[in-house]
Amino acid sequence: MSATVITITSGKGGVGKTTATANLSAALAAQGKKVVAIDADIGLRNLDVVMGLENRIVYDLVNVVEGTCRLRQAMIKDKRLDGLYLIPAAQTRDKTAITPGDMIELTNQMRDEFDFILIDSPAGIEQGFKNAVAPADRVLIVTTPEVSAVRDADRIIGLIEAEEKGPGDLIVNRLRMDMVKRGDMLHTDDVIDVLAINLIGVVPDDESIIISTNQGRPVVMQNGSTAGQAFKNIAMRLTGQDVPLINFEESDSFITRLSKLFKVSG
Amino acid sequence: MPNERIIIKGTSSGLVITIGPGVWQGLIEELDSGLGQKASFFKGGRVALRVGPRQLTRPQLEAAGQVLNRHNVTLWAVESEAPGTQEAAVQLGLETDLSPPNLTVDAAQTSESQRDSLIIQRTLRSGQVVNHPGHVVIIGDVNPGAEIKAGGSVIVWGRLRGIVHAGAEDGYQEKAVVCALHLAPMQLRIGNWVSRAPADDSDHEFMPEMASIQDGQIVAESWNG
Repeated sequence: MSATVITITSGKGGVGKTTATANLSAALAAQGKKVVAIDADIGLRNLDVVMGLENRIVYDLVNVVEGTCRLRQAMIKDKRLDGLYLIPAAQTRDKTAITPGDMIELTNQMRDEFDFILIDSPAGIEQGFKNAVAPADRVLIVTTPEVSAVRDADRIIGLIEAEEKGPGDLIVNRLRMDMVKRGDMLHTDDVIDVLAINLIGVVPDDESIIISTNQGRPVVMQNGSTAGQAFKNIAMRLTGQDVPLINFEESDSFITRLSKLFKVSG
Repeated sequence: MPNERIIIKGTSSGLVITIGPGVWQGLIEELDSGLGQKASFFKGGRVALRVGPRQLTRPQLEAAGQVLNRHNVTLWAVESEAPGTQEAAVQLGLETDLSPPNLTVDAAQTSESQRDSLIIQRTLRSGQVVNHPGHVVIIGDVNPGAEIKAGGSVIVWGRLRGIVHAGAEDGYQEKAVVCALHLAPMQLRIGNWVSRAPADDSDHEFMPEMASIQDGQIVAESWNG
């Protein structure tokens, strides 16, 4: 077994990196893969909260790197899903506590044991980002359909290309089709038009994400959430399965389709 | 030199003397007299001999080199298809392949002649900056947040949506142009003139345009061939 190291990043904060990391990790584990999620956001740790594992933290990433504990001791096993582990970030330190070299070494130690190593990158383009991207085999860039988030994603893609980590794959998060239809939100096509990289998934805006984040239970562990389904699909694409993109426009009513027709002809 | 069996040509690897078929000794004598007539032309230069499939020994090549030396010309290479000749040339410390120095000469010439323009074959993303004293050609898009500052003109074979400043160097100022397959820059400057993108950017038409200075202002015109 040789793990694929996937870093989830965005540039801009608050677009859903941590949510994406938690859900993709859980979805991959649900597929029977052995997965470890690493929170690289040292000083602002969140992934443990979103995954609902906060109360089980004893050691963290910085402890491992500094040799205070063994790697195994810092890995928290998720009891809800077989094969899902978390290495939390330190809360009392900052990004300079570790180096890109540490991250490469750490992931190399785990490659034989896991199928996927997912790294939740901090926002920004500084040291924390560099730490997170250094060991990556693949990079997923999360953006929301907003001009500012797309601008930052573009910057990040440029930096990733400079690190020769490929252009990466894009997740468009929090899409609201109703707003797109009204012309109040960028369409996925508009985002791709600027970024010109492979789109690996579109996640609709979904209240259940907020609820699940507060409960510490990733939406992919629940049924009936459209965002959860979107993350499951992305996880399947990561394992090489060919899953078509969900077409959010299918829910068009007869009337809206009719009015569209009139718009075109009129 | 009336004899067509000896052809002297200037090539990208310098002067090359091609020795055609015939008696080697006689040809070298001809070359000797021929060089005598054009001494000033060759003086101080270096030449390569192209001898085709001819088998030459080391002393023969040495003699040829001495003949050239007498005219203040240095023999630096002998190109031949005959392995024996190649070997003899190598023993004399001569090159047998005209391309390596050719490459270095080319590289030098290229950097000299292209100091004027820079070609970038990728998309410029947000935060990436190109600053060049000559012309800039981008084969790819220039995304919002990217910047180009060129002494001369800027040509974008793609969408131009970043900030572009052409004619930033004296002497180019008014002559510089900005061309793009889709010209929608955030801000476009030519020399000291500045124009902003229209607030309404609903114009998604993909139409090549060229911006230039006309009557003291920036004018963008569609490219109709």
